Amino acid sequence: MKIRIIFIVVVVLALLAGVPWYGSASIVQFGIDALLTATLAQGWNLIGGYAGYPSFGNSVFYGLGTYGTAIAMAQFGLPFWAGLVVGGILAVLCALLLGIPILRLRGPYFAIATLGLAAAMGAVIANLGIAGRNNGLILPLFRGDALFYELALGLLALTTLMIYLVSESRFGAGLIAIRENEDAAAVMGVNTTLYKVMALALSGFVSALAGGIHAYWITFIDPGSAFDATLNVKMVIMAVFGGPGTVLGPIIGAFLLSAISEVLAAKISTVAGLFFGGVIVLAVVFMPKGLIDVGYGVRRLGLSYFVQNIRQNRL
Amino acid sequence: MELFSQIIVNGILLGGLYGLMALGMGLVWGVLNIVNLAHGALIMFGAYALYYLFSGLGLDPFVGLPLAMLILFCFGYLLQRGLLNLIVRSALLNTLLITFGLDAVFAHVAQLAFSADFRTINPTYAGNNFQFFGLTIPLARLAAFGVALLLAVLLWLFLGHTRTGRAIRATAQNLTAARLYGVNPRAMYALTFGIGAALAGAAGGLYGIVSQFTPYIGASLTAKSFVIAILGGLDKPLGVIGGGLVLGVAEALTALYLGPTYTDVISFGLLVLILVSRPASVFERA
Repeated sequence: MKIRIIFIVVVVLALLAGVPWYGSASIVQFGIDALLTATLAQGWNLIGGYAGYPSFGNSVFYGLGTYGTAIAMAQFGLPFWAGLVVGGILAVLCALLLGIPILRLRGPYFAIATLGLAAAMGAVIANLGIAGRNNGLILPLFRGDALFYELALGLLALTTLMIYLVSESRFGAGLIAIRENEDAAAVMGVNTTLYKVMALALSGFVSALAGGIHAYWITFIDPGSAFDATLNVKMVIMAVFGGPGTVLGPIIGAFLLSAISEVLAAKISTVAGLFFGGVIVLAVVFMPKGLIDVGYGVRRLGLSYFVQNIRQNRL
Repeated sequence: MELFSQIIVNGILLGGLYGLMALGMGLVWGVLNIVNLAHGALIMFGAYALYYLFSGLGLDPFVGLPLAMLILFCFGYLLQRGLLNLIVRSALLNTLLITFGLDAVFAHVAQLAFSADFRTINPTYAGNNFQFFGLTIPLARLAAFGVALLLAVLLWLFLGHTRTGRAIRATAQNLTAARLYGVNPRAMYALTFGIGAALAGAAGGLYGIVSQFTPYIGASLTAKSFVIAILGGLDKPLGVIGGGLVLGVAEALTALYLGPTYTDVISFGLLVLILVSRPASVFERA
């Protein structure tokens, strides 16, 4: 069983890694975008899916990664890898400093505090001289979509491996305990503050790396794109659509939704947005536990799985 | 000093409208436990409803306002009864998600139906102002402020002093107990959401009188309403108006002393600080 799973994972990874050789240029570009968004959804999964803290401010870490990399490369002439390190360190520091006060809040209060933080951070950066204020920064040009694609794929694979290891560990069990009942978890001896801050820091670290890769790929950044508020909602939706608190759910959700909006956007953008919203509404009504759960549910109950979902959640 | 008091007055007038925007969101959140991310889109619908009543039927905006509220009430009632009641007991994330989806649907439907052009509701007296102790007071903004206050007081009286209002508050406090006392929660939820939508409609209509709008104003108004609803203590109408005034004045002062690029730093920084230091609410006892 275990060997079979490892075999499947290796084959899928090899197929994905080969895309730059047999796919068209536009597929590779779509792939970079989808892989980076999936990484963000996966990073959110750790704090939102496992620990149950609905962060709407993970774009803070993405933005810090973007700006850390851009400032290191454009203002100090450092190489790309050093930029990534700077961005990652900034994000982890931010998670440690701000996480301690903010993770005391629960539910919607935590959500809005993180949302506010993302907006405030974007505005601070827009007033900072070293970050180019509102004009943004231009990074050295590097043409090589294939390289960025492989970097993004590698980052997503490592992030997913990390999530898998966490989910099997004592740390992961502690996070799930916090999600289900934080007071009970604390009574059972889980160091809740430490666990939550660690989850946020890890989540921030991978988001920052995704931001750094995106910055160097796109070569131009400004506060509006780096701290884009819709990005927060996007990663949450993708993770929840696929199945929060599962290892593969957020990836499936991210790939599927990216693909849908890509196909539709090529046709008519207004109808695409309409359809996107409609899909989300129907998904919440019929599969509130995410796409991953539909597989198990339908096998067990057949189509009455959907009816049961509604029966459980309606008034 | 004159500039300072003028800025304060502008902030207060704007803050009243902010408070009205947040009133419906806070009510729905406090009673139904739904953080309605489509609230801004309902405000946007309110603006268009009043726009067509004004330009199509030639009604005076302040006469058309109750009609726009009625339209939004029916829309909200049906939306809750037909769709949101199906998911209201699921996890917080799911209610966030579905209302976000609705927001996208509403914005795009509005763009298809009303086009993306900038609109404004422009009665003949829109540009009038009067002088008051050396301060310039725009008439339309003052009227909008008055309507906002009036609606907040009416909502406060309704929730506190009528049978239906008490039933709504009972549902918010304990659904099971309310049911045992003969409250029909499905109808009560739909009624609450309808009232929330009607208040959004009023806010949207007034917004359309004092400012320009497009199908895409919803998202930023949702964010503002969110902040104010929390500042004000959700289903406490007078507190929410207070929260709106605080944000209006804070934004006006920031724009004056630090420059307009800092307004977001201050308003959201203020929010985070308040949340961290006093999670319950600032105007709890209002």
